[in-house]
Amino acid sequence: MLAESLLGRSPEGRPRHATSLLAEVEKAAAAAGGWSAVDLIAVGLGPGSFTGLRVGIATARGLSVSLGIPATGVGSLDALALGIAEAGAPGMLLAVLDGFRGEVFAALYGADRERIWEPFVCRPEALAARLGELDSPPSVAGSGAVRFRHELARNGVRIADDADPVHRVAARHICALAAAADGGEARPGLAPIYLRPPDAERWRERDPFQSGA
Amino acid sequence: MILAIETSCDDTCAAVLDGPRILSNVISSQARAHEGFGGVVPEVAARQHLELTEPVVEAALREAGIGLDEVEAVAATAGPGLIGALLVGISTAKAIAAARRLPLIPVDHLQGHVAANFLEPEPLRPPFLCLIASGGHTLLAGVHEHSGYELLGQTLDDAAGEAFDKSARLLGLGYPGGPAVQREAEGGDPEAFEMPVAMARDPGLDFSFSGLKTALVYLCRDLGPEEVAERRADLAASFQAAVVAQLTAKLKRALKRGEWRAVALGGGVAANRPLREAVARLCEERGVRLKLVPISLCTDNAAMIGSAARFAPRIPYPDYLGYDAFASGEAAAAIPH
Ligand SMILES: [Zn+2]
Repeated sequence: MLAESLLGRSPEGRPRHATSLLAEVEKAAAAAGGWSAVDLIAVGLGPGSFTGLRVGIATARGLSVSLGIPATGVGSLDALALGIAEAGAPGMLLAVLDGFRGEVFAALYGADRERIWEPFVCRPEALAARLGELDSPPSVAGSGAVRFRHELARNGVRIADDADPVHRVAARHICALAAAADGGEARPGLAPIYLRPPDAERWRERDPFQSGA
Repeated sequence: MILAIETSCDDTCAAVLDGPRILSNVISSQARAHEGFGGVVPEVAARQHLELTEPVVEAALREAGIGLDEVEAVAATAGPGLIGALLVGISTAKAIAAARRLPLIPVDHLQGHVAANFLEPEPLRPPFLCLIASGGHTLLAGVHEHSGYELLGQTLDDAAGEAFDKSARLLGLGYPGGPAVQREAEGGDPEAFEMPVAMARDPGLDFSFSGLKTALVYLCRDLGPEEVAERRADLAASFQAAVVAQLTAKLKRALKRGEWRAVALGGGVAANRPLREAVARLCEERGVRLKLVPISLCTDNAAMIGSAARFAPRIPYPDYLGYDAFASGEAAAAIPH
């Protein structure tokens, strides 16, 4: 690893991606010795904040077009699971991200990080119920695990302290997975993993014509 | 040469300009993705932009027959518009520019509509009056210089194109509403129903279309579904005539108040034939020149953004790395999460 940085959220809670990401990417590239030293651009595909995902993917695509360097995508839950495994957690790994609107994005992995449950979105209570059906409790981490610790940390489920870096999706894990997958086969596309359809139905409800306003 | 990107609403656009000359102007319309909703769904638009921006940019470069080496600045619409949609375009533009240490030129979307008139052939010189009417905006701009405009009036509620969309939906016509209403109105009598010409007595230059929409709602309710179906053409024609009457009335008032040599139309509603005809008559009466750019430059496009960029400040690398898009007042609340 040559460089890595972390983006926070603005005080209003709007993701800072649009205003911070490109500067951080430029810094990381400079630390690596400039863009000529970079041979693959990897980006987290989500799930996550819709706007944040799009800023990340659009930035990766723009850089790729401009520099002629290929770009590839990595599932954010996969990257999170790699971090959990590297932290030395035993057994199965459950990556859980805050899904907003009171829900979580989650995926379950075996001890060798093979996917057991494909990424999905659900209420934390429903996830806890699913966990109860497992033979042994997994190691759980991620922003969703921190946020819904109370709902998820039961039946022997272990969750590290809130401040533990294991809860963050690290760019170095995205790089590691991208590099590992880059074996000459067709690269995965850059399609974001939204896990939720657009809010068209809500939008329809707001339409003044429908509400009779 | 300038590479320009526009993603403020539901069209993904990229263009390459050599001065006022358009080398390419690629537009990928999302209209079909929004068809079932009778309007633009912000999250659907943002998702479509993400899929389309890169291929559209590459198509624009290919059609222009140039590589990025020949691009001296990258322009993008910074707002107003749907924030999620804008962020895709501005993020792409920033990345393309930053990787090559090129300047970035953020462009105001409405200034883009004005600047469509500065493109070849026969670029229009200020001063002129520009009526911009689309699904997202309706305003009257007094253009005194290439780099900005004076806002003379704007809609206080719905945009004209929005009014067409809503009426089309009410009459069971398609989306987008403007072309659908115009088509239906061709076989109808514009005087069959009396529609309120809102703001006619208002001395200002602002517009309002919500009263007209409400009038149509009540009219349809009174007529009942069968008669609405039977007299759809008359309803469409009468509604369209009322929208056109309001737009031209304000334009006429603005012409009387200032020393304008020319009138220009912009925005998707400028494609409406009865509006074009009414404005042409008005210009003839008043003895001013009417500038009508092709319809492909009236509706949202990136060539107009590139045109505005020629007269807008360039932000040098790396000062724009943290540049953010700005939403229109209404769309700001639509940020996902
Ligand atoms: Zn527009």
